[in-house]
Amino acid sequence: MGKYLLRRILQMIPVVLGTTLLVYALVFLLPGDPVKAMFGDKPINEAVAAQIRAEYHLDQPFIVQYFIYLKNALTLDFGNTFAGQPVIDEIGRAFPVTIKLGLMAFVFEAIFGVVFGIISGLKKGKWYDTVILIVSLLLISVPTFVTGFVLQYLLGIQWSILPVTAGADPTFLDLLMPAMVLGSVSMAYIIRLTRAEISSNIAEDYVRTARAKGMSNGQVMLRHVLRNSLIPVVTYLGQDIGGLMGGAMITEQIFNIHGIGFLTYQSILKGEANLVVSIVTLLMLIFVVCNLVVDMLYAALDPRIRYA
Amino acid sequence: MTNENLDNELDNSGEPTPEYFMETLPGQDRYVAPIDETPLQDVDSVDESAPATSMWADAWRTLRRNPLFIISGLLIIFIIIVAIAPGLFTKQDPNACDLANSLSAASSGHPFGYDLQGCDVYTRVVYGTRTSLSVGLLSTLLVVALGTLIGAIAGFCGGWIDAVLSRITDIFFALPMLLGAIVVLQMFKSSKSIWKVVLVLALFGWVGVCRIARSAVLEAKNLEFNTASTALGSTPMRNLFRHILPNSLAPIIVIGTTSLASYIVAEATLSFLGVGLPTTTVSWGGDISSAQTNLQTDPLVLFYPSAALAITVLAFIMMGDAVKDALDPKSRTA
Repeated sequence: MGKYLLRRILQMIPVVLGTTLLVYALVFLLPGDPVKAMFGDKPINEAVAAQIRAEYHLDQPFIVQYFIYLKNALTLDFGNTFAGQPVIDEIGRAFPVTIKLGLMAFVFEAIFGVVFGIISGLKKGKWYDTVILIVSLLLISVPTFVTGFVLQYLLGIQWSILPVTAGADPTFLDLLMPAMVLGSVSMAYIIRLTRAEISSNIAEDYVRTARAKGMSNGQVMLRHVLRNSLIPVVTYLGQDIGGLMGGAMITEQIFNIHGIGFLTYQSILKGEANLVVSIVTLLMLIFVVCNLVVDMLYAALDPRIRYA
Repeated sequence: MTNENLDNELDNSGEPTPEYFMETLPGQDRYVAPIDETPLQDVDSVDESAPATSMWADAWRTLRRNPLFIISGLLIIFIIIVAIAPGLFTKQDPNACDLANSLSAASSGHPFGYDLQGCDVYTRVVYGTRTSLSVGLLSTLLVVALGTLIGAIAGFCGGWIDAVLSRITDIFFALPMLLGAIVVLQMFKSSKSIWKVVLVLALFGWVGVCRIARSAVLEAKNLEFNTASTALGSTPMRNLFRHILPNSLAPIIVIGTTSLASYIVAEATLSFLGVGLPTTTVSWGGDISSAQTNLQTDPLVLFYPSAALAITVLAFIMMGDAVKDALDPKSRTA
């Protein structure tokens, strides 16, 4: 197990380096001159421009810039934005908001996805099973931004239950609707996954054996059917954490939440190379670590899987 | 253990039935199953006179009986007709807009009313079909081609080629598609086109197909028919194209069909964010984005393109499910 873990962590290094290089190259190739943009309408003072270029290493070839960035990143110095703010401060301000949003979406999709999936899987063919199935299919087919607008219109404008947009410092209530929107597609997938797992496991021999031994129905469900059915669901949930961080880009845009997604989109538009690369690296690290944790969890939940 | 021994043991264990087992209590029925007299061989033997069937014929038979396939198939045919010949459904020009009509309600000949710019919403919904469908289809084709090629090379060659390609796949896998697409499309801000959106979606989408193609090729490579074919003097390349690829096609087709819907959504999302298609191209995503400002007063302008988008995506998701059920019997959900 320890050896496997070490190998996985070592394998992560080239992936992380490769991804940062890829993103850095992409952002570097963005058109437009950020230094020129800093002067705005004023005439460009060549001496000042050259000094700024030197300060941000913009006069160096791309690969040198990348290694300078990497070297600094190792000492947790991710550089400054073009406005002079340290990148780490910008991220530090936006990240807690997205964590809060992502956590709420995660809890939402996990609870509702599993509960509706179990109800649906146990009572296959009942009218509420059909309703749950249709709703989940709808949620999957409607793009997130449309779901967002529909909820904004219904919950926010028509019925005025929840605030339509969140501000700079959102409260729990402000984030409730965005979290539902962010988690909606994954929730639908979890419902379908749980339903399929429950309904196939319920027909397994070990369930009949457990019943034959005189185990009560609740115990059979809890100890055997649920435990076996939820393994793939846990895997899905773990992999989804990274997806939620990416999906936040759309949701935060719709609801005007000043989190990581909002920051990423703005910095792509402005060509803020340092900021974009740092955020993507951060998201990717979260994604890769989550995958690793899921694989470990998988072994813990399913005794048939052992890593050598 | 020999057969005889086995028989003896079975007899021994079956014979001494205790008396109290045989006693029938009042009100108790005994049911004894009739002995099935069909010899086992008749059940198991292969009917050689029947016409030969292939996996594809089997899959097609399963598909044809699946109501999901019929419904989604009809929907998709309808969507394709609308995309090819939008002129059949509306006589108006989607870009002929009159500001005097801005946000007017539905009237005769204009069932969905007008948007902010005074364009006929119905006409724009009809013309938007072509954009969504072509981006979805082209991206999927490109993704499947690229993913299969890279995956097949990785799985077939193995060794260091596989190691390098797999690491590259890992890198692209860790990068969210939407994020990468926005960064690249931002580069072409001044010269947007459908082709660029397709290429960018393919650039960040091939990973999924590649992984599946690689494992399918790897699995088929080690099967006996491949060894047999090599023993008969076939070259590795011939093996790849004649035996390995046809045998690993099913999972690739499944992921291709299921991901088509996600490319349509991705295109709409990019257009919604304003980095996708040029503003002159009529697209559902773009129309939803511009209708967003008047959500409070005119939600219907936003509703129609959204509904069209949702129905299209739903049709392709159902089709994907049906194809998956037919080609991958192990994953059958119902």
